[in-house]
Amino acid sequence: MLLLQLLANGIVTGSALGIVAVSFALIYSTTRVFHVAHAGVFTLGGYLAWSLVRAGVPDLLALAGAMAGCVVLGAAIQRFLYAPLERRGAAQLVVLIASLGTLAVIQNLLAAVYSPDILQFPSAWAGHVFGLGGLRLTGAQLATVGVDFAAFGWVMWFAHGTLLGKRIRAVAANPFLAEITRLEPRRVHVLVMAIASALVCLPGVLGPLDYGLQPYGGVTPLLTATIAMIAGGIGSLAGAFFLAIAIVVLQNLSLLVMPGEWSIGVTFAIFIVFMLFRPRGLFASG
Amino acid sequence: MILELAGVAAGYGAKTVISEVSLALAPGQILALLGHNGAGKTTTLKTAMGLIPARAGEVRFDGTAITRLPVAERVARGLRLLPEGRGIFPDLSVAENIDVVAASLTGKGAMFDPASVYRLLPVLAERRATRAGSMSGGQQQMLAFALAILGTPRCLMLDEPSIGLAPNLVERLFAQVRDVCRAHGVAAVLVEQNVAAAMALADQVVIMNNGKVVFDGTPEAARAANVWHFF
Repeated sequence: MLLLQLLANGIVTGSALGIVAVSFALIYSTTRVFHVAHAGVFTLGGYLAWSLVRAGVPDLLALAGAMAGCVVLGAAIQRFLYAPLERRGAAQLVVLIASLGTLAVIQNLLAAVYSPDILQFPSAWAGHVFGLGGLRLTGAQLATVGVDFAAFGWVMWFAHGTLLGKRIRAVAANPFLAEITRLEPRRVHVLVMAIASALVCLPGVLGPLDYGLQPYGGVTPLLTATIAMIAGGIGSLAGAFFLAIAIVVLQNLSLLVMPGEWSIGVTFAIFIVFMLFRPRGLFASG
Repeated sequence: MILELAGVAAGYGAKTVISEVSLALAPGQILALLGHNGAGKTTTLKTAMGLIPARAGEVRFDGTAITRLPVAERVARGLRLLPEGRGIFPDLSVAENIDVVAASLTGKGAMFDPASVYRLLPVLAERRATRAGSMSGGQQQMLAFALAILGTPRCLMLDEPSIGLAPNLVERLFAQVRDVCRAHGVAAVLVEQNVAAAMALADQVVIMNNGKVVFDGTPEAARAANVWHFF
C-alpha cells in the first residue's frame, strides 16, 4: 500500500511538474530562450491567488485572476526584455543572465512584499483528505492531477488542432521561413510567453494549496522540469510532460530504498543516463 | 518594372558584400542571377527582401521605393523568397505547412489558394498528411515552391532551388516556375549554380562577381560573350 501511495503522490506532483515542463518546453522550442524566470512566474501565480483568496475572492476566480497576472508578466518579459535583447543580437548567455536577474528580482520582491516564510492557503477544501481504496489524497492533490492532465490535453489539442497552434509550431520549426511568410515570429513569441505563463500558473497555485507558498520555491520544480524537457526530447511537449511524471514517480519510489534527501540525486542520475545514452531525448523530433 | 535595385550596397558587420548592384525586371519576366559562390547573389536577394538593410542605393517594387519597408510589408505586396535549403516547416505535415502560410498570405481573390496549389502540384495533395521533413528532397522543394507562391505573388526570388535535386526533378520544377510566370505575369529572380538550365529558362541574365554586376543582358548575348568569362 505504501508503494501505491508513493506512486499516486508521484503522479500528482509529476503532473504539476509536467505542466511546468510543457510550458517551459513551449517557450524554449519557440523562442530559444532558456527562460529561468519562468520559475518566478510560477511562484508569482501562487502569491497572486493567495492575495485574492485572502481578499475574499472565490478560489476559482482567484485562480483566473492569478493566471491573468502571470500572462501580463510573461508577455511583458518577452516584449520588454527578451525581444529588445534579441534585436540587439545579444548572445544566449546574455539572455540567460537577464532571465536569472529577472528571477532574482521577482523572488526578492515577493519576499519583501509578503514574507520569506511559508504562507498557507486558507482554503479548507484543499486540505480535506479523501480515501480512495487504501489511498489518501487531499482535495488539492485531486485538483492538481485533474486540472494538470486537462491542461496537458488542452495544450496538445491547441498545438495540433488549431491554426494558432500550428503557427506556433511553424515558428518553432523554421523561424527564418516564418519571417518571410509573414507569420510574425516576434508576435508569436509574445503570445507563447503569455500562454506558457498562464499554464505554469496552474501548478503554481494548485501545488501551494497543498504545501504552502515560499518565494524561492519555484527553482527546484523548474530544475526537474528542465531535465524532463531535455530527457523527453526538446520540441516534444508530450515527452516533457510524461518524463516529468516518470522522474517524480521514480523520485518518490526511491524513498522505499533510500532517504528522502537523495531524491534530487535520483533526478540528476536520470539526467546523466539520458545524456550518456540518449542525448537527444526520448521523443526528439526531426 | 516590378522589381528594381538601383546602386544597392549591403553587407554583414564591417564587411560590405555587394555594392553598386543594379538590376530590373518586368512582370512575367524571368531573370537568372548567376555567379560563383560568394559573388553576392544571396546577399542581393536578402537585401531586396529586407532581411539585411541596404547601405546605399534604392530597392523599388512596382515603382515605389521599399528600401526601408519591413519584411512583412514587402511580402504583403507580393515579393516572395524561396530560401536555399530551408523553405519548409519540417515538423509540420504538408497540409499544415500550406494551411499556416495560406492563413497568413491568402486573402480574397488570391492568385493561389490551397486548392489551386494542390491542383498545380498534385504530389502535395497525395502527401497532405505526411510530415514535411520526412519527404524526399524533390517533394520538399515542391512544397517550398508551393509556400512561396501562396497568395498573390508578383515577384518570386528563388535561391538555388535545384540544389540536391535529380535532373528530371530540376526540369519539372523549372517548368512549374515558367508556367506560373507566363500564365500569371509573375516575375522571377532565379539564383542558380546550374547555369545552362537557368539560361534556358531566363529572359534576362545578370552575372555577379565579387559583389558587383559584371554582365546584364539577354541569354543570347551572354552565350555570345562566353558566359564563363565573367565568372
